Amino acid sequence: MSRRNRATPREIPADPKYGSSEVTRFINVLMLDGKKSTAEGIFYDAMRKIEEKTGQPGLNVFRQALANTKPVLEVRSRRVGGATYQVPMEVSPRRRDSLGRRWLIQFARGRSGKSMADRLAGELLDASRGDGGAVRKKEEVHRMAEANKAFAHYRW
Amino acid sequence: MADQTMYQAVGRRKAAVARVWLRPGQGGWTINGRSLEEYFPLLRHRDAAEKPLAVMESVGSYGVHVRVRGGGPTGQAEAIQLAIARAIVSADEEARSTLRAHDLLTRDPRVVERKKPGRPKARKRFQFSKR
Repeated sequence: MSRRNRATPREIPADPKYGSSEVTRFINVLMLDGKKSTAEGIFYDAMRKIEEKTGQPGLNVFRQALANTKPVLEVRSRRVGGATYQVPMEVSPRRRDSLGRRWLIQFARGRSGKSMADRLAGELLDASRGDGGAVRKKEEVHRMAEANKAFAHYRW
Repeated sequence: MADQTMYQAVGRRKAAVARVWLRPGQGGWTINGRSLEEYFPLLRHRDAAEKPLAVMESVGSYGVHVRVRGGGPTGQAEAIQLAIARAIVSADEEARSTLRAHDLLTRDPRVVERKKPGRPKARKRFQFSKR
C-alpha cells in the first residue's frame, strides 16, 4: 500500500442468490486458487444444510454467526522505551468484519467432517449459538485485551 | 433479422468484445446463436449480463441479440453488460443518469498485467540464490 494515500474500500457486488454483498465477501475469502464456482457451491450447500437442520433462513443464521464472531477489542504490540507492551485497542468496523470472516473459515477448515460444506454449516451453526472455534477465538482475544487493560493508556 | 429500429452498441471487458443489438418490443435473448441460459449456465454471469435491463426495469421490453468474441465467460458477460447499457442509452438518453449511478457505463479498465522479462510472471521474481 502507498504510504502517502489511504486505499479507499472497494465496493463489492451483491451475491447472486441472496443479493447481499456480505455473502460475496465471505465467498471470496472462502475461495482458494481463484475457484469462485467451487466456493459458491460450498457456501450455498452449507446454507441449504443449515436450513434443513434448523428450519431458519440460512442468511439469518449466517448473519448471527458473523455478529457473534466479530471482536470488539484486541491487543496490539507497541514498543515503549525498549519494552514491548500488549496494548488493548478497539477494532475498526472493517477489521471486525474481516477478522470474523477469517476466523469462521479458519475454524471451519479445522473441523472434522466429510465435506467443507458440512464443516462450514457446523461452524456457522455453532457460532450463531455463541459456540464453536471462531467464537472461542474471539473470547480469547477479548480476554487478552482485558488482561492487558493496565497498558490501555499507551493507545495510539 | 427484420429491418426495423434496432439499437446497436459495443462493449468490452478484459479480452472480450461484445456487440449487442436491442430490438424494442418483446423480450428474448440470443448470444452467438444460443439462449442466455444455454450460453451462461452460471447465475452469476446471467445476472451480470442482465443487470442494465434489470436496473432500468425493462427486462422483456427489448429483444437482445449478441455477438461476443474473445475472453472467458466472466469477461464476456461483463462485456455484454457494458454493451447493453450503451445500447439502452442510444435508445433512451434519459437512461444515462440511472445507468451512470449504477456504474454501468464505465469500461472496467482492469486487465491482466503483462509478464516482464527476467521474471516468471508479472510481479513474481525467480528464486534468489546467494551463490
